[in-house]
Amino acid sequence: MKFKRQIFGFQDMLRFKKLVPNRRAALAAGSDKPLPETYRVNQQAGRLHPGVMEVELTAVRPLAPGMKELTFRRLDAGAFPFFRAGQYVSLQGRVGESLVSRPYSIVSSPRQALENKLALGVADAGFFSGWLNREARPGDRFRMTEPSGEFHYETLRDGRQIVCIAGGAGITPFLSMARSMAEGDEPYQMLLFYGARTEAQLAFRAELDALAEKGLRVVYVLSDETKAGFEHGFVTAELLEKYVDIRTSSFFLCGPQAMYDFLDAQLAPYGLPRKAVHRDASCCPNLRLEAPRVFRLTVHVRDQIFSMEAAEHETLLTAMERAGVPAPNRCRAGGCGYCHSKWLSGEFRIAEGRDGRREADRKFGWIHPCVTYPMSDMELEVPAEK
Amino acid sequence: MEKRTTRAYDAVVIGAGNGGLTAAIRILQGGFSCLVLEKHNLPGGFATSFRRGRFEFEASLHELNDFGSAQEPGEIRELFRSLGVEDKIEWLRIPEAYHLITTDKQYDCVMPFGVQAFIDRMEEYVPGSRKSMEAFFELCEEVRAAQAYSSSVNGETDAAYMKKNFPNFIRAGSYSVNEVLDSLKMPARARDILNAYWCYLGVDCDRLSFLHYGSMVIRYITRDAWMPKMRSHEISLALEERIRELGGEIWYHSPVSKIHADGPGAITAVELADGTQIPTRHVIANCSPHLVFGTMLDKGAVTEPMVRATNSRAFSGRGFSLFLGLNKSAQELGIKSHNYFIYDTADSADQYDRMRRVETNHVQATVCLNNAFPGCSPEGTCMMYFTTMFMSDDWGNVADTEYFKAKDRMADDMIRVFERETGCRIRDSIEEIAVASPTTYARYCGHPQGVIYGYEAAEWDSLMPRMMMIKEDAQLFPGLRFAGGWAMRSSGYSSSYVSGDLSGRQTVGDLKREVR
Repeated sequence: MKFKRQIFGFQDMLRFKKLVPNRRAALAAGSDKPLPETYRVNQQAGRLHPGVMEVELTAVRPLAPGMKELTFRRLDAGAFPFFRAGQYVSLQGRVGESLVSRPYSIVSSPRQALENKLALGVADAGFFSGWLNREARPGDRFRMTEPSGEFHYETLRDGRQIVCIAGGAGITPFLSMARSMAEGDEPYQMLLFYGARTEAQLAFRAELDALAEKGLRVVYVLSDETKAGFEHGFVTAELLEKYVDIRTSSFFLCGPQAMYDFLDAQLAPYGLPRKAVHRDASCCPNLRLEAPRVFRLTVHVRDQIFSMEAAEHETLLTAMERAGVPAPNRCRAGGCGYCHSKWLSGEFRIAEGRDGRREADRKFGWIHPCVTYPMSDMELEVPAEK
Repeated sequence: MEKRTTRAYDAVVIGAGNGGLTAAIRILQGGFSCLVLEKHNLPGGFATSFRRGRFEFEASLHELNDFGSAQEPGEIRELFRSLGVEDKIEWLRIPEAYHLITTDKQYDCVMPFGVQAFIDRMEEYVPGSRKSMEAFFELCEEVRAAQAYSSSVNGETDAAYMKKNFPNFIRAGSYSVNEVLDSLKMPARARDILNAYWCYLGVDCDRLSFLHYGSMVIRYITRDAWMPKMRSHEISLALEERIRELGGEIWYHSPVSKIHADGPGAITAVELADGTQIPTRHVIANCSPHLVFGTMLDKGAVTEPMVRATNSRAFSGRGFSLFLGLNKSAQELGIKSHNYFIYDTADSADQYDRMRRVETNHVQATVCLNNAFPGCSPEGTCMMYFTTMFMSDDWGNVADTEYFKAKDRMADDMIRVFERETGCRIRDSIEEIAVASPTTYARYCGHPQGVIYGYEAAEWDSLMPRMMMIKEDAQLFPGLRFAGGWAMRSSGYSSSYVSGDLSGRQTVGDLKREVR
């Protein structure tokens, strides 16, 4: 063939010859205005996803026996990011020689975040949470990761009728979800079952009763007390049936493992699809071992090397925190991938049901230290703290 | 803040994306020391995957161009072979080229791989198209041969040799896709169907260089398209492992805030956000010149030509993707193809215009990965991802409080259009959903405005003059080269690997000259 577009082929050739001079001229003809330092969409990304925030504790309020509400304001900016109700933040502090952090569900609403107010409900359980309950005072400063997590309503996945079931301290994300609904930011109708041992152990009664005026339906379920106006026992399928059509609802569960196991058994006969039931993740616990061995853990962070002890029943993340080595982490449940680290040597095991790694991570030797326990001396490479 | 200084490296690569990883391997293979600095906690840039429930989603790769089989390797497989990563990755072949649907003219065409099969299928859809299609592929073959020659002489082509051996390449070389197809007297319907791949390059066919498009199409049609089995994360980790094997280092969570230079062409160090100083004289940036010249490089070293050249260029598409994990199999849902292009209109210039605004953009390039790799998700499920681009910063008008709703609305529209055009009902089967907006892309890789396609390769800034000016462009700031989607080869997986390869090897050349 002979391709040509103009009458004479040499005209086409001439055009080709001009490609470079044309581009050279266009590059030189660009504006000499200084290049932008930032861009609108990137600024929004920075507001919605600030990464780590500097915060100050502004108020501590008892909620129920063994549970407090901690309210924070941000020091590095004038507002917290707008988030999806149901999400958590990881609060990070230093207790003695240890760097510690824990994820907590946000109880305030996304709108309140814009007023530079973010509240967490913290139950007095575990090392850091216990310390927060007993020792934290207004004025104390912490680091906090941006709101994240997938435990929230999804418009295109979930039904309009959502059934939220809270066990004990698991009430926290539902406060935010109910508030967000009341503020018009969520399209769902929310029915909340809130289980506790006794009425005195119910947190946020006044808030929930006020939200009930704005469309929230709440059913309090007491296991150890029988009282008028309260359901008695556990949240059973029979109880759910009294209030809602189980088959057409989307479920959000937050509570202890025992509650999940109980509800799984209650809901099993309905054969609900996976998409209908969402569970909030919980922190990966220590293993229960008779006489845990202690190994040597070597950690590379950029060009620095740290050496420390690592107990067999504690996660690699815990070992690093005990030694004061800053290791990135958020969910502590194996799922968010933020602690993604390179395995270099040694044997390990991963907490059952918590291996949230990608397929290629397994192939090329990457792990999530927040759910991984050592079984020999180990060597890791961990990303620097941002 | 304590300013720690680390050891010196022969070269520092900023960004562990496709281009940066490739460049780093080239530097190390050349016998020089190299440190890769990555702001995120894993390698790959957009070449990654993420887990939701029982699904592992591919973040961005639709199909790898110019890969080919082990027996008939394309350039990218050969590149991977020479990088030493080909065998670290399990590869699978994509079954068909594409499934084009347009709303306006009601096209519903499934195009196969293989030149003969492609021409035959086109003749079925558009009787009388055969001659022009044969001419098209003949022209494309010449484009490919000319490019192979150009690569073999590192871009320093001999004009007389080119004229003698590749006259059609030169005569067609300055024209757009549509201008060339018009000269080939291709029937309009055949042109519409053939132009379906345009969204992969993000430029409408009135402005897209024929050489650019032709060289991509011929590679798809003759070499098929391929995928790594474990999503693109497998490629990224394989390249990462290769860097370690060669003695290189990668630091994660290590965003570069400054490139220090005593003056133009005299880089002294890069600085991390925490103040750490890393001495080096050579930088390969796997990020945009807008960021490098606008915020990273010492102000005193930024020259007027750099500013003018950077300002003259146009941002390409800002990305938007929807990821669905469905609780029924592709077969149950009636999803037959792997790779759909669904356009409002077959007129690419009109379509491009509609993509400027969020409201009027209904284009989607949609993949059902199970139709290439049934085992990619559990039995009885399937995975889909839908991608579009905005050709302006309209997305920036979304307020923070409307952000999640705006993502939902766009995702809802993508599902609506897919269901309407294919007749497959997927909405009720959504088990997992994730949405990435330009804001997500801006956050993830730091690209200005959430651009995923680098600079628009159109008109004066099209691929051919870019390639002919590699040397000249690098003179803008000696010691600094670019790799990845913002570099000379423009965006896309294969192009990013190639730009990483070029910039890596050229930096090795610079280093060798220095040693001498």
